[in-house]
Amino acid sequence: MRDTRRTRLVLGVLLVTSLLLIAVDHQGGENSPLRGLRGVGATVFGPLERLASAVVRPVGNTFDALRDAPGQRRRAEDLLRENQRLREQLRSNTIDKDRAAQLERLLGGAGLGGYKIVAANVISAGQGYEDTVTIDVGTLSGVKPEMTVMTGEGLVGRVTRAGPATATVLLATDASSTVGGRLEDSKEIGVIKGEGRRGLGVGATPLRLQLFSADAPLAVGQRVVTLGSKGDRPYVPGVPIGTVARIERTPGTLTRTALIHPYVMFTRLDVVGVVVAPPKRDPHDAVLPTQPAASPSGS
Amino acid sequence: MLNSVEEGRGGTLRSVLIIVVAILLQVAVANRLPLPGSVTPDLVMLTVVALALFRGETVGMVTGFCAGLATDLVPPADHTIGMYALVYCVVGYISGLASPEMDRSPSLPFVAVALGALVGNLAYALVGVMLGDPRADWSIVSRTVPLAVLYNVLASPFVVWAVLRLSQRSERLEPRGGLSVPGFSARLGRQQR
Repeated sequence: MRDTRRTRLVLGVLLVTSLLLIAVDHQGGENSPLRGLRGVGATVFGPLERLASAVVRPVGNTFDALRDAPGQRRRAEDLLRENQRLREQLRSNTIDKDRAAQLERLLGGAGLGGYKIVAANVISAGQGYEDTVTIDVGTLSGVKPEMTVMTGEGLVGRVTRAGPATATVLLATDASSTVGGRLEDSKEIGVIKGEGRRGLGVGATPLRLQLFSADAPLAVGQRVVTLGSKGDRPYVPGVPIGTVARIERTPGTLTRTALIHPYVMFTRLDVVGVVVAPPKRDPHDAVLPTQPAASPSGS
Repeated sequence: MLNSVEEGRGGTLRSVLIIVVAILLQVAVANRLPLPGSVTPDLVMLTVVALALFRGETVGMVTGFCAGLATDLVPPADHTIGMYALVYCVVGYISGLASPEMDRSPSLPFVAVALGALVGNLAYALVGVMLGDPRADWSIVSRTVPLAVLYNVLASPFVVWAVLRLSQRSERLEPRGGLSVPGFSARLGRQQR
């Protein structure tokens, strides 16, 4: 080995540096002096991520269009035989319509609840064990930390950090996320925790509800909305979260737990909205989907 | 940092470029893939391992540290700063130690990258558990690590191939250290002439 002593020295310095970083950041928690570095990261990598996402989006959209609509795909394949150019046109139209529909649902939901939202695209996602995404709006669009993020379907999470043109969103499915929730039509409240990455877990849902009351009525198919935080930060009230998929009976505990099937597909987030101004009045159950979930959606 | 100065500059620049591209691909593409189990392959770690295997342990650990620090700071990141820096640095060093063995067999780099990925996944989980991170709870680690290793192994040939392509172009036909993966060098050589 060439230059082993120097190599060892460099290794030592690097290891000590990273251990110091970890120690300082871990001790500091939310007020850690190193959080400023994340701001630098957002400023440097934010625009790059927007660019990268703009480049890969058409590719992803094409895959999505193919997977989402088998009928469209068949039609597209028919057209492929006729005319390559026409097929491309059709696909891009479908994508535009799809995204317009998503946006419309989002705006509709926001109008129903009286939320004032800023629409955003998801441009990147976190790795390892964290369920976080970056969105392409930031402080320049009025987005601040501790704001609710939702789609037309329901709750996505909350903003944890905002750069000038990007913001980081902690998804409700993250293992460190807790959201106050309320069962529809009742005053039963509880906490909804993220389950983290699913991995090999079979039959698991990404969210788990803990009801504070041990004898509260709880039924499969019941729907859950956000309770709303104090001062509407980070969570505004009345945002649909999901339906009760399975009730867990663990004897000897003071709380009841249930697995929640979320309304939002967390792995396929695209257009989301940041609630920049909370509703004047708690919308209660007004934002829930119109048809009651008579048959609980499985899985 | 590298053997000779002029080669060092080009090589460093190239390594930086490769890492930046890997990080962007990781956050903007790989992490958004709706793969079963919502676990994703770690392209950055695979890139660090591949670079270390071809360039030696010094490059491996420095690249690993820098790539890790960048991964710690890239926007959606929300963990304790320094975790990836530590893990990638160690992984880069260990992989670099194996670099002299790389010319024994053409398939060895692929095996080594898979092993490096396994070590990296376990090390990251271990650091998380030691810090008491609620996300790196034992139940979550035990159900995600096997799948993450599987995805990394599946992704590793592509990363090895890409890194080899990108990092070799500057170095012409002079395989230095553990660079000579026979099949690849030969093919590249022919293309460049």
